[in-house]
Amino acid sequence: MKTEDKQGMKTHTADFDIVVIGGGHAGVEAALAAVRMGRRAAIVTMDPQKLALMSCNPAIGGIGKSQLVKEVDALGGLMGVATDGTGIQFRRLNLSRGPAVWSTRAQADRIGYNAFVVEYVAKQKNLEVIDGVAGEILVDSGRAIGVRLEDGRSVSARAVVVASGTFLGGLIHIGEKHFPAGRIGEQAAYQLSESFRALGFEISRLKTGTPPRLDGRTIDWSVCEIQPGDEPIPFFSSRSRRGSFTQTPCHLTATSEKTREIIDANKHRSPIFSGQITSRGPRYCPSIEDKFHRFADKPKHHIFLEPEGNGTDEVYPNGFSTALPEEVQREAIRTVIGLEGVTVTRPGYAVEYDYCPSHQIKPSLETRRIQGLFFAGQINGTSGYEEAAAQGIMAGINAALYCVNEPAFILDRSEAYIGVMIDDLITRSITEPYRMFTSRAEYRLALREDNARDRLNHHARRLGLISDAESDLFLKLDSDTRVTVALLAKTRVKVADLNRLSSQLKKRDSLTLAELIRQPDLELNELLPVLVRHTDGQRDGMESLERAAIQIRYQGYIDKQQREIDRYKKLEHDRIPSDFVFQSVHGLKTEAREKLSRFRPVSVGQAGRIEGVTPSDMAVLSVYLKRHRETARADK
Amino acid sequence: MKGRTASRADTQDTIAAIITPPGEGGIAAVRVAGSKSRSVLARHFSAKHSDDAEPHPFLMRLGYFKSLDGEILDEVMAVFMPEGRSYTGLEQIEIFCHGGRQVVKKILDEILKGDIRAAEPGEFTRLAFENGRIDLSRAEAVAEIIAAETEVSYRASREHLLGNYSEHIDMLRTELIGVLSEVEASIDFTEDAPEVGADSRKLLILVDSLVTKLSALAETYRGGRIISEGYTIVIGGRPNAGKSSLFNLLLRKERALVTPTPGTTRDYLLERIDLDGYTVNLIDTAGLRQGGGKIEREGQRLAKGMIAKADLVIWVVDLSKQNWAKLLTLDIESLGSAHILLLGNKIDIVKKAASLSLSASQKIIGASCKTGIGLSKLHREIVGRIEKSMPDLTSGLVVTSARHRQKLKESIRHLRLARTKIEGSVSPELVAYDLRTAVSSLGEITGKVYTEQVLGRIFSRFCIGK
Ligand SMILES: Cc1cc2nc3c(=O)[nH]c(=O)nc-3n(C[C@H](O)[C@H](O)[C@H](O)COP(=O)(O)OP(=O)(O)OC[C@H]3O[C@@H](n4cnc5c(N)ncnc54)[C@H](O)[C@@H]3O)c2cc1C
Ligand SMILES: Nc1nc2c(ncn2[C@@H]2O[C@H](COP(=O)(O)OP(=O)(O)OP(=O)(O)O)[C@@H](O)[C@H]2O)c(=O)[nH]1
Ligand SMILES: [Mg+2]
Repeated sequence: MKTEDKQGMKTHTADFDIVVIGGGHAGVEAALAAVRMGRRAAIVTMDPQKLALMSCNPAIGGIGKSQLVKEVDALGGLMGVATDGTGIQFRRLNLSRGPAVWSTRAQADRIGYNAFVVEYVAKQKNLEVIDGVAGEILVDSGRAIGVRLEDGRSVSARAVVVASGTFLGGLIHIGEKHFPAGRIGEQAAYQLSESFRALGFEISRLKTGTPPRLDGRTIDWSVCEIQPGDEPIPFFSSRSRRGSFTQTPCHLTATSEKTREIIDANKHRSPIFSGQITSRGPRYCPSIEDKFHRFADKPKHHIFLEPEGNGTDEVYPNGFSTALPEEVQREAIRTVIGLEGVTVTRPGYAVEYDYCPSHQIKPSLETRRIQGLFFAGQINGTSGYEEAAAQGIMAGINAALYCVNEPAFILDRSEAYIGVMIDDLITRSITEPYRMFTSRAEYRLALREDNARDRLNHHARRLGLISDAESDLFLKLDSDTRVTVALLAKTRVKVADLNRLSSQLKKRDSLTLAELIRQPDLELNELLPVLVRHTDGQRDGMESLERAAIQIRYQGYIDKQQREIDRYKKLEHDRIPSDFVFQSVHGLKTEAREKLSRFRPVSVGQAGRIEGVTPSDMAVLSVYLKRHRETARADK
Repeated sequence: MKGRTASRADTQDTIAAIITPPGEGGIAAVRVAGSKSRSVLARHFSAKHSDDAEPHPFLMRLGYFKSLDGEILDEVMAVFMPEGRSYTGLEQIEIFCHGGRQVVKKILDEILKGDIRAAEPGEFTRLAFENGRIDLSRAEAVAEIIAAETEVSYRASREHLLGNYSEHIDMLRTELIGVLSEVEASIDFTEDAPEVGADSRKLLILVDSLVTKLSALAETYRGGRIISEGYTIVIGGRPNAGKSSLFNLLLRKERALVTPTPGTTRDYLLERIDLDGYTVNLIDTAGLRQGGGKIEREGQRLAKGMIAKADLVIWVVDLSKQNWAKLLTLDIESLGSAHILLLGNKIDIVKKAASLSLSASQKIIGASCKTGIGLSKLHREIVGRIEKSMPDLTSGLVVTSARHRQKLKESIRHLRLARTKIEGSVSPELVAYDLRTAVSSLGEITGKVYTEQVLGRIFSRFCIGK
């Protein structure tokens, strides 16, 4: 910031190494990562008290997303720790679906989480939070050099990370009403959008929505099904030190026949159906009016009643996202079982916002157009706190590396869900808000919650994102795991001693625990107690035992998948230089040439994932690349 | 799962394909490249001369190509090229045979039974280029060749000369994606919609129906071969039965030697004829009997191999022999499951025409190669058999490429694995693993890469979203 009191400021140095626009989930992780790597960072945000606020569902994790949280955590990020520190209920999902897709989900405390992050950020050295609205990206000969705020101040930096969420050109709709806002009660950011247009970025619009909030004291809980948390509490982060506590339950209820009648009668008043909203919303997160419309034969829909925190009576009716007029929302929600006398504290709404279609970024999240300008979170067309945090940490790391001229840090599809997500972003036209699902990962069996640190610990250590001590702690766990693997391979048990399981193992008298683990029809989570019993496992050894069991279980598949991964990597390593001119390649089909010029893949493998690029285009490309490389070498 | 369709052979994969263009006659060749090439020679090739037993680089060796069951498919020339000095730059072998298109295909099929993958279109050239075996200045030309080969191959499956083959494959793939999306939904959306869950009985039915359809398609490979390569008829029988006489008659020329001495035909003879519009590969063989000299025995071994691989065997019986029925009963047993048509020859010199049939199901056509009696009946019978074994052309679905067949089989294999897992209540992530592999195998036939189709299906089928 251009302030006089900066001690020893030299004329040409920037105020900060990195300035982050927006203190949401992406922005916070970006700034923290940069600071951990020794850079000086600032977050410019509209309201410093609203850092990492959850705009919508107060929950972190879930299937596909929890893997992202664990990866962010392995890279030294805050999301796991903040969730563990303030969450009010923790569950493990998908236990019967196999360990690769076991997922953790926490009911967060909206206010508690936000306060935790505000406090954590305040404690950081070299990190400043600036209260203001960013209006323009300052650019000098193709490089980002800072940000100008709407009030005229400017902040100079060597790199800029944009994490402005749903605020760019935000427009909220409730029934026939619509007004500019980023989130309800918060202003939108218009100037910044204009700045991107002026810089030549392509901008498009997406939409999302949220349900009304309810006063929990007016809900009849007795008619709802209770959903308690799991014990022992499945925390996210190995860094968390929180002990056991009394969890707050969620509840499950459903709409009634009356709900459908009211919604059907008023559907035309929803901006989604009236034509007032034209941008695409997420298919996986439809509004209640959309659900009744598209699945007309479904008489009722589930509604999850989720507490917003311990210090509030507000309840989030998950599954009832709507943009119907306020009075219709009130009438309709009172037809849900148990909500007959409910008070609505805040109405639901839909919001449309600007995003920059993600073919405009590189795998490092740096924009192609402006050097030193990075995009993370909703601005890239994603949706979700976890997706935002994961991009945020990557953008922060890469901005930090950019400042010292080091090569970018890129995770590939076989290493992390983060890699899958970013690769998807840069090879696809995103037409609906992008959310993570486990089915997006082709090497799903290798990308698990339990091995996030196996995959990322060495990166985190090298980059200075975690301390050596912390990294060593993991290495210790890893060696314990290996010992346990060996133990399981040699411990024999009598089938007769296996009680209930023995009926499924009729054919033999005894077997090793490793063999038992490999029985495909036995569910691993049910086996764990047996393993504990036969290995004198103490609670301390539980993590290594579980890890060992999962490793044994998957070994055969991992070996098979390794060959696919090798093949994949080979194509990934067939790099396309950034100055490569696709237009000059004869033999490419027109469609491929256009798509390649638009998405600018960094490797032949990535090119192949772009729709419209055929195997023969890939072949042509790799031949030309080889020649390109050889002539470049000859020129030197 | 994506982007693998154009995978370049990594050093681990050994690949094989026919490298001579399809066409009439001449010499056809199969190339195998990769670290397992030499083992193909060890498995299938036996040198004719004992001093040729070991492969020497670039030395053509004469010998026999044997199937895995030890049957000789053809006399071939084989050459071995060490790594770094072959066309592809990898360890490589080439096998040349004169048995024509059909034999070379059989040779390729045999090779692919090992741990060897059918080469992707353009793959050899691409390897050659990558490994520096082709001059960089020819990059444009090489790119064009590869692109053309790849295009032709995928287009061939797209605009298959026999109809909408690729549409059919895509349809099956879509069906398979439907099954996969049921399983994926039960993984990704248990939280959002607790009622979403793959019903295993329903899944089994869907998988079974797919296996049936894919198998039927894979089976047409035989029929497809008949169309592209012709229908193979082997004339077999005891010595002196009149096989060569019949061969010449069907050929309408004196091609085979005919003498009263048993054991006249030793090597086999192959001729291509047109029978009512069908292309037929007609093969005359040495007569089968116990004993005989060394050369004759060798001929008999060849004959047996031919019989086993034939689409139809015309088994000629000399009716003038007193004990023909007894011999025939013995012979039929040893013939096994081959498709046989029985022809009772020399009916002109049989005094009283006793019952010609061995049993109700084993009718014999009485005929004479001398007078021509019964031959038109034989002709009709042959054409009937050909028609019966032809694939259903109205559906237009015929697999003619060994590569496609291999992918279909891979897909079927993974569907079966998935089936076993579903039955054994194995967790869905592992079922999905096999289903995904099955989907991508099918995609590799038409060059389709995995896209967001699975999610698309899930969102349209299930009401997802809390
Ligand atoms: C109504 C609604 C419903 C949603 N529903 C869901 C859901 O059901 N599930 C789900 O996973 N996700 C949902 N989301 C998305 C989720 O909130 C976002 O994906 C996530 O918060 C994005 O994180 P972010 O860091 O990119 O941005 P945000 O969390 O939006 O944070 C952006 C921050 O940047 C600040 N900012 C913006 N512009 C400027 C500027 N010019 N100058 C200074 N500061 C600025 C804002 O004040 C804010 O603090 C919903 C969002 C909304 C608004
Ligand atoms: N009378 C009569 N003689 C026949 C007939 N068909 C073949 N012959 C004679 O039977 C003898 C053997 O005929 P081939 O055609 O050489 O018999 P082959 O089965 O090929 O014999 P090998 O090659 O020795 O196994 C010849 O002398 C033929 O002239 C027939 O229908 N009637
Ligand atoms: Mg003969």
